[in-house]
Amino acid sequence: MKLLLRLLDKVRPTFEDGGRLHLLHPAFEAIEHFLFAPAQTTVTAPHVRDPLDLKRFMSMAIVSLVPCILAGLYFFGLRFIAIIVVSYAAGLTVELIFAIVRKEGINEGFFVTGILFPLIMPPAVPLWMVALGVAFGVFVGKEIFGGTGRNLFNPALVGRCFLALAYPAQMSGDWLAPATETGGRLLKWVDASHLDAVTAATPLALAKQGEFVSTAHMFIGNVSGSIGETSAVAILAGGIFLLITRVGNWRSVFSTLVSFAILATILRHAQPDRFGPVLWHLCAGGLLFGAFFMTTDPVTGPVTNTGKWIYGAVIGATTVLIRNFTGYVEGVTFAILLGNIVAPILDEAVFAVRLRRLQSEG
Amino acid sequence: MKFKGGYNVLLQGKPDGAVQTMPEPDKLYLPLRSERFQFSSLAVKEGQQVQAGDVLATDPDNFDIPLLAPRTGVARLAQAENHIVLESVESLSEPTELDEREILHAEQKAGTGAAKREALVRLGAWQFLYDAHTQALPDPTGTPQAVIVSTISLEPFLARGDVLLHMRLLNFTRGLEHLQSLLEYQPIYFVIPKIRSEFADLVRNHIRGYAWVKLLEIPLIYPYGDFSILARALELSSGNGPVWAVRTEGVLAIDQALTLGRPCLTRTISIGGTGVVSPTHIEVTPGYPLKAITDKYVFEPNPRIIDGGILTGKVFGAETLGIGTECRGITVLPELKEREFLGFVRPGSDRSSFSACFLSSLTHRIRERLTTAMRGELRPCVSCNFCEEVCPAGISPHLIHKYLYRDLIEEAAYARVDLCVECGLCSYVCPSKIDLRAQFTEARRRVEQEKREAREAKAREAATEEKSV
Repeated sequence: MKLLLRLLDKVRPTFEDGGRLHLLHPAFEAIEHFLFAPAQTTVTAPHVRDPLDLKRFMSMAIVSLVPCILAGLYFFGLRFIAIIVVSYAAGLTVELIFAIVRKEGINEGFFVTGILFPLIMPPAVPLWMVALGVAFGVFVGKEIFGGTGRNLFNPALVGRCFLALAYPAQMSGDWLAPATETGGRLLKWVDASHLDAVTAATPLALAKQGEFVSTAHMFIGNVSGSIGETSAVAILAGGIFLLITRVGNWRSVFSTLVSFAILATILRHAQPDRFGPVLWHLCAGGLLFGAFFMTTDPVTGPVTNTGKWIYGAVIGATTVLIRNFTGYVEGVTFAILLGNIVAPILDEAVFAVRLRRLQSEG
Repeated sequence: MKFKGGYNVLLQGKPDGAVQTMPEPDKLYLPLRSERFQFSSLAVKEGQQVQAGDVLATDPDNFDIPLLAPRTGVARLAQAENHIVLESVESLSEPTELDEREILHAEQKAGTGAAKREALVRLGAWQFLYDAHTQALPDPTGTPQAVIVSTISLEPFLARGDVLLHMRLLNFTRGLEHLQSLLEYQPIYFVIPKIRSEFADLVRNHIRGYAWVKLLEIPLIYPYGDFSILARALELSSGNGPVWAVRTEGVLAIDQALTLGRPCLTRTISIGGTGVVSPTHIEVTPGYPLKAITDKYVFEPNPRIIDGGILTGKVFGAETLGIGTECRGITVLPELKEREFLGFVRPGSDRSSFSACFLSSLTHRIRERLTTAMRGELRPCVSCNFCEEVCPAGISPHLIHKYLYRDLIEEAAYARVDLCVECGLCSYVCPSKIDLRAQFTEARRRVEQEKREAREAKAREAATEEKSV
């Protein structure tokens, strides 16, 4: 390790101001800090710091996605790896360009976006579309707002929303049927050219025609849908881990799911022949994935706990409404983006009340 | 009593329950500046022989609080910058007691209460009092709305309350009685930890007889022992007059001053932290050479030596040669030496974190061997809300940070940055490594300054109006 550190120290001048490759300093810094903890020390009190840094914080989010990634690999085959690689490559390029322009470090937040994005892609999506979508998401969803920490919208969802509107046929037309054989498609490359693997519809699309896939299948995940969203059990495993580490806040997740369940129950009771059962709806589509991995994004959600409750309620209710009363079969993406819009307003309102109460203190 | 936030930082180097006596030094270095005081008005001449307990200098801005000579010796003014050096110090010299005629004179002039307060100032006991809201020295002639007496010190690592109180319980209750005699009907709140131990029960039993003492038991979570946090939890608003606050050592000093008429010339401080051989307490006089202490206790080749605790203490400057009159503990931390390889992917069973992102949160909370490392890069705020969760003052550090980032000082004032108690927890937990505490200290200074300027402008206006009338 000492050798490696010495090597880094040796090439450092090349990347610093005046060095030949000083433009690539953010890339060098990212690699250096990936390998070795930074050399900075505290200057004033407090003289010690918590071991948690943003790298660890974001790593926990990635770790919590591992069950979904494995489920995706199992059900949809090796092509998923290619999608992940393309997503990271395209997104990192945009991130690096902005880091160079802004003369800041590469932010760890991207590494979560880079893996979230492939998970919300349809398994048959063309690779060029992955690159385009993630680049658009990172650029429009994050960088023009000022980078990680200042973005208004979840970059992965912005990318997906863009693709869904620009290429509706590819994004919701052809779906890959999940693997049915034992052993899954862990060693197989399956894309849209495999005619026997192509299916027309996701459970939610079928439901519009009055045909309900079994809830048990949706719980395990062998239904068609976006790569990461099909297996409820994998999402729950990773999601609960995320909440336990306190990287994701349980309030927004809980509130989203509860508000969704309440509204869906009401609809079901009102017209049982028109609306699906609640548990079925909870497991269908991207609801669980969105609730656990998108509403918990600290940057684009509200900061305050009260705000988080309302935020979740807005997302849950909107999802029910879009699913059941519009032409779209699924509404989680739009619901969360709408939630992102109201999040700052919710915070503003909570702070207004809280600060007024604080005025008489002390 | 309702408390918000709070968190105990666990690190190695907790002082044990013993108090060690240090060898008598032959030279004392008394700093002329401490946290609250600046002893700028000198009372001795170069080369003057002084007795233990004599006034060496006073602070004209703080009700003439004196800097006392801890031992008999020869004062040297020019030997070290910002210090009075006492040379040829005699060991174990008897301190001068207040002249009885002097006391009698003061009593005749101003009454018993005023004479007692004067004696407290003169004998160095008044400097242990704080205004709970501002942490400043309260006016010795003023009347408080209440007094908070706290035996708790929770910041790692300051002198422990139980260590200071041990064996001196009788002196302590006598000190409380003296304190009560300064008041009319105002309540004394006595704060002890909510724990079950033989010693805690002994203290409870001792206090039970005093009807005018209101016993408060609070959980041992940093920084609930902070005076302004306590004052707010007790709903003692600053609008209703000052709240006096005093710790164990202050009550003991009051006892010594009013029972024996003797000045308080020694203090018990802690020496703890990761870089100390055997963390403990030591009894020293103010001005005790810092080097003599570090030579004995510090083994780190490259330590950071801090005046106070790890969360709020200041690094001893290179020019500081002796212990100040307000020092409550010395904390020693090793500076960061080795950069960790792939630190952020390790399971982390050996680190203690506020979040639950490390393996250690599954097993048990451990005391970590901490250094001064920043442990991460500076990043923009990601609104994780950890700072708000730990904040004991009930303000929103991330919100104020965002205001200050855009230089919106008025908004920061409206968000009550002035309620910040500078406990340092927000900076400690921040995963983006933002130095919130330093930003808030600066912001509070600016808010205070603007308020003062506004007051002065108003006063000037009123004065000119009066003239014109």
